Amino acid sequence: MALVELVRHLDQAKIDRYAQVSGDHNPLHVDPAFAARTQFGGTVAHGMLLLAYVSEALARAWGRRWLEGGRLRARFRLPARPGDALTVRVLPRGSASCLVEVLDGKGQVLVSAEAEAAETPASPPRKGGDTPG
Amino acid sequence: MSVPRLDQLPKGHRFAPTTYTLDDAWVDAYLAATEDVTTAALEPQAVPPLAVLALAVRALLEQARLPEGSLHLSQEMACHRLPRRGETVTAEAAIVSRSERQGWALLGVELSVRDSEGELLVSGRATLGLPAGGGKP
Repeated sequence: MALVELVRHLDQAKIDRYAQVSGDHNPLHVDPAFAARTQFGGTVAHGMLLLAYVSEALARAWGRRWLEGGRLRARFRLPARPGDALTVRVLPRGSASCLVEVLDGKGQVLVSAEAEAAETPASPPRKGGDTPG
Repeated sequence: MSVPRLDQLPKGHRFAPTTYTLDDAWVDAYLAATEDVTTAALEPQAVPPLAVLALAVRALLEQARLPEGSLHLSQEMACHRLPRRGETVTAEAAIVSRSERQGWALLGVELSVRDSEGELLVSGRATLGLPAGGGKP
């Protein structure tokens, strides 16, 4: 059973916004005409955008134990495309490690990752913070 | 200004350190782009570790051009200290491995971001696949 499931609906506007904020304007992500001529047949999301979803799911699962002291090893297996309904699934493997998958609407694994949480967060929360999970 | 293609740079190449300020406008734009509502709920001044790792990628892209059709194959990362709004951070990147396989150049790039005191915030390693010769796919 998943510890956390996070759902994100991907579209080209979201990919474009990520390109703007990250400075990564690779045409494979933002130029549909270019991307249509590649092996992917269309634009695909930045891997780092998918990892941002993964990181948020881990923050929901582990709180500061992810944000301070967490580790992640991820492989991008298939591209995420505009129109995909993505599910980030955090599957526990004990109290401080988990498998993370990003699935598309067909159940295909787009990203697979292993993550570890810190045993304890590196520093206490600052004002306004708490530690769920 | 013309920048070299990433696949033209040798193993051992170190990109110049690049300094950024985690100002509210950029952090808010990042949180909106990634739909992240969790980090600020944990601590209002916190900046997601992936956001500063993205700055390390940006530093790299400001100094080298990705050939068209480049792919991000894998990513490792470690969160050391939680970055916070208003901090000045310095991103660094270096090419630590390079090989060629089936028409692709495979590059390992180490990334790190430190605060103004030199304390490590985030580190990681990206593996990139670049079309050999930088040609169109």
